[in-house]
Amino acid sequence: MAGLFQVLWGKPDGTFRAAEELKGTDGQPLVIPLGPGEDAWIDCICTRPTAIDWDADGHLDLVVGNFTGTFYLFKGEGKGRFLPKGELIETDDGPLKISGHHSDPFVVDWDNDGDLDVLSGSSEGGVQWAENVAGRGAAPKLKPFQSLIEKAETREYGRVLAEADLTGPVMSTRIWVDDLNGDGKLDILVGDLVTLVAPAKGLSEAELKEKYAAWQKEWDAAVAKLNAATDAAAKQAANQRVQDLWPERNKFLQEEMTGFVWLYLQK
Amino acid sequence: MRPLVLVTLLQFSAITAWAAEFAAPVRLEAGGAAIRVDSPGYAAPCWADIDGDGKKDLLVGQFDGGKIRVYKNLGDRQLAAGEWLMADGKVAEVPGVW
Repeated sequence: MAGLFQVLWGKPDGTFRAAEELKGTDGQPLVIPLGPGEDAWIDCICTRPTAIDWDADGHLDLVVGNFTGTFYLFKGEGKGRFLPKGELIETDDGPLKISGHHSDPFVVDWDNDGDLDVLSGSSEGGVQWAENVAGRGAAPKLKPFQSLIEKAETREYGRVLAEADLTGPVMSTRIWVDDLNGDGKLDILVGDLVTLVAPAKGLSEAELKEKYAAWQKEWDAAVAKLNAATDAAAKQAANQRVQDLWPERNKFLQEEMTGFVWLYLQK
Repeated sequence: MRPLVLVTLLQFSAITAWAAEFAAPVRLEAGGAAIRVDSPGYAAPCWADIDGDGKKDLLVGQFDGGKIRVYKNLGDRQLAAGEWLMADGKVAEVPGVW
C-alpha cells in the first residue's frame, strides 16, 4: 500500500495523456520512504505532490504531503526526472508537520522576503503556513506551522446545515495561492469537504432535533457497552448493535457530502 | 531621499504580506451556480492557464473517480460552466482515488 504520484503529461497540441505513475531515475514508482516504526497505511498514502524548484538549482523538485501531515522532498534533475528517495523535510524542532492530517503543500514566497515558504490545508480545515527564515539563495530553514486562516468552528453533529448557511470552508482544506485579482497581493483559493445536513422528508427541524437526541442516547449506550465488553460473544453483539444503529440516522436526517471552492482575497 | 522612500516601501510591503488580512471568503460560482464537487467532497482547486489563452482558469479536483473539472476564465471575473478535463480523448481520472 503506497500513495503513488500520478502525472498527466502535456502533449504538444495542448491536450493531455492519461495519468501515469511518476517514476524515479531508478525506473521504479516514486513513493514516500517508510521510516522506522512507520506504517505504510498512514505514512505513505494520500500523497499530495507539488512541483517547485525547492533548492534553486534550476530544476523542478517535488514537495509532497501525505496522510500523516508531514512533507517529503524528491529532488529533480530536470525534464521530469526525480531522484528515487524522498527526504523528510525538517525544522529545528523536528519534522515539518501541520496541525491535523492530509498535508497539502503550496510553496511560495508568502512573506515576500525572497525565499520559499510552505502553506498547507489540513484535515482540520483552515490554512497554515511555515515561514522560511533562510533568506534569498540559502537552503530552506523552516519554522513550525502557524495558522494563517483559522479553521471553522466545530459544529455539533446532527445539526441542520444548509448550503445557504455556509460562510466559509469547513474541513479537509486544499489550497492554491496566486494573485487572483491582480492587485499585487497573493490570494488563496480553498477547497473543502462539507457534510450538508437536512431533516428527512416530511420532518421539521425540531422533529429532527428530537429524534437525533433520542438516537444519540442509544448510540452512546451502545458504544459504552462495546467498550465495556470483555468476552468475544459480548463484543460481537455490541458491535452488531452499533452497526445496526448507524443507518438508523437515515430515518430522520439526510446527509450530503460535497465540497466547494472559496476565495480569500488578501486586503 | 529617493532611496529612503524605496527602502520604506519595501519594508512596508514585507510587513503587510506577513501580517496578512483577508476579506471574508467568497464561494466561487461558474455558469450561475456555486462550484461544487461530487460526494464525498474534497474539492482541490488549481489556478492555471490550461487553454493557453493568456488567462488563468480554475481546475477543481475531486475525490470521486479522481476527476478534475475545468472552469474556463471568461474574463471580467466570470467562469464558464465546468467541463471534465480530458486525457487521451477520455475523461481524465487519477487512479488510486476511490
